[in-house]
Amino acid sequence: MQNMLADQLANIVLMHADDKLMLGHIQSDWTGLAPILEEDIAASAMAQDDLSHALVLYEFLGERFKLDPDAIAFDRDPCDYRCCDLVTIPDEFDWATSVVKRWLTATFSQLGLHRLATMTEGDLGDRAKRLLDEQTIQVTHLNRWMTRLGRGSIESHDRMQAALDRLSSSAGMMFEPPDATLTEDESFCCGRDELFTEWAKGIGITLDAAGLSATITLPDRSTGGGRRGEHAPHFIDQHAELTEVRHSDPATSW
Amino acid sequence: MVSIADIDGVLDGVPDPELPISIVELGMVIGVELQGSEANIRLVPTYTGCPALPMIEKDVREQVGQLDGIDSCTVQWCFEPAWTPDRISPGGRAKLSAHGVTTPACACSGQTTVILRTSAIGCPYCGSFNTRVDSPYGPTRCRAIHFCEACRNQFEHMKPRS
Repeated sequence: MQNMLADQLANIVLMHADDKLMLGHIQSDWTGLAPILEEDIAASAMAQDDLSHALVLYEFLGERFKLDPDAIAFDRDPCDYRCCDLVTIPDEFDWATSVVKRWLTATFSQLGLHRLATMTEGDLGDRAKRLLDEQTIQVTHLNRWMTRLGRGSIESHDRMQAALDRLSSSAGMMFEPPDATLTEDESFCCGRDELFTEWAKGIGITLDAAGLSATITLPDRSTGGGRRGEHAPHFIDQHAELTEVRHSDPATSW
Repeated sequence: MVSIADIDGVLDGVPDPELPISIVELGMVIGVELQGSEANIRLVPTYTGCPALPMIEKDVREQVGQLDGIDSCTVQWCFEPAWTPDRISPGGRAKLSAHGVTTPACACSGQTTVILRTSAIGCPYCGSFNTRVDSPYGPTRCRAIHFCEACRNQFEHMKPRS
């Protein structure tokens, strides 16, 4: 496990996989509760997608570092998870918060998978390309929710704007590299600033269409956050819940 | 002596647990290798989160493994080429259509006309093209939900690649 955690490429893959694992875990709370039947199916399917995307990436790392993908997913200490702060923020069962949070992270993941799809290490590129197709369906679906609610009623607009205002400060932290030693020109990071500019341009189109606005800036370089394993207190509880079944009997199989 | 054709025959009979067609018709099989008594089947997932994948893998291993002359059968999941509905055979398309599931048109579907309408997806019940997407997420990972404005029925469509 330590070999993997010391590897730069592995940390990039881990950060995307950990985002997906936590998002899928937390979003599955909505199963049975989404506002309409079709969306109940869609929200559950997207959570399922996120977990399978995490698995496809953990499997790549598992083959590379001779590790069990389940061990990578469940047996690390909280400080060894590379997920960003945004994915772990509780949505308190507010649909606007859930949509905005997923939209911000899904658009980031889409861009990240685009970068991973160009990688030539093993079959990482092929895996990322496969996931990118599914990710694009998620982004399209969430774009529709952004415009549907942003242009819905006064209340739906205000609640979406409030969710954006609340989550914007954490969105820039998605772009922090997981390893402080990664330099700007590392190809798999593609430069934090360049990635951010491309992302901001993309989400700006949807925000305009939705009649919403967001002020998102890159954080101070000295700020570590979740990408460096400095997680918020609620992550510790989420991690405990996520790993509870596995830890109750690590040798069991389904 | 067991042959590749024998294995192909077995794979033809392995169903997708969620659709009335075989994994061969669905286009999931991309390679069959046979070395002596050891078979290796290469499959592509339709969607990575599909819960039927482990069931399909188990069915393939067990059913190919039961062939006379096969001692072991492994299944290898591949990501290249990526699965798309274009991989569904004409026979598979016909079975899906009879089941009320439409498939995106492609050059291999034998369609000879171009449909210049708002929706190119015909309702499987009444044939109307006055249809729209209701949700890209249907009852299984590979199907979307569409709605026919003409006969007011919902129907399922095999999701095209994004």
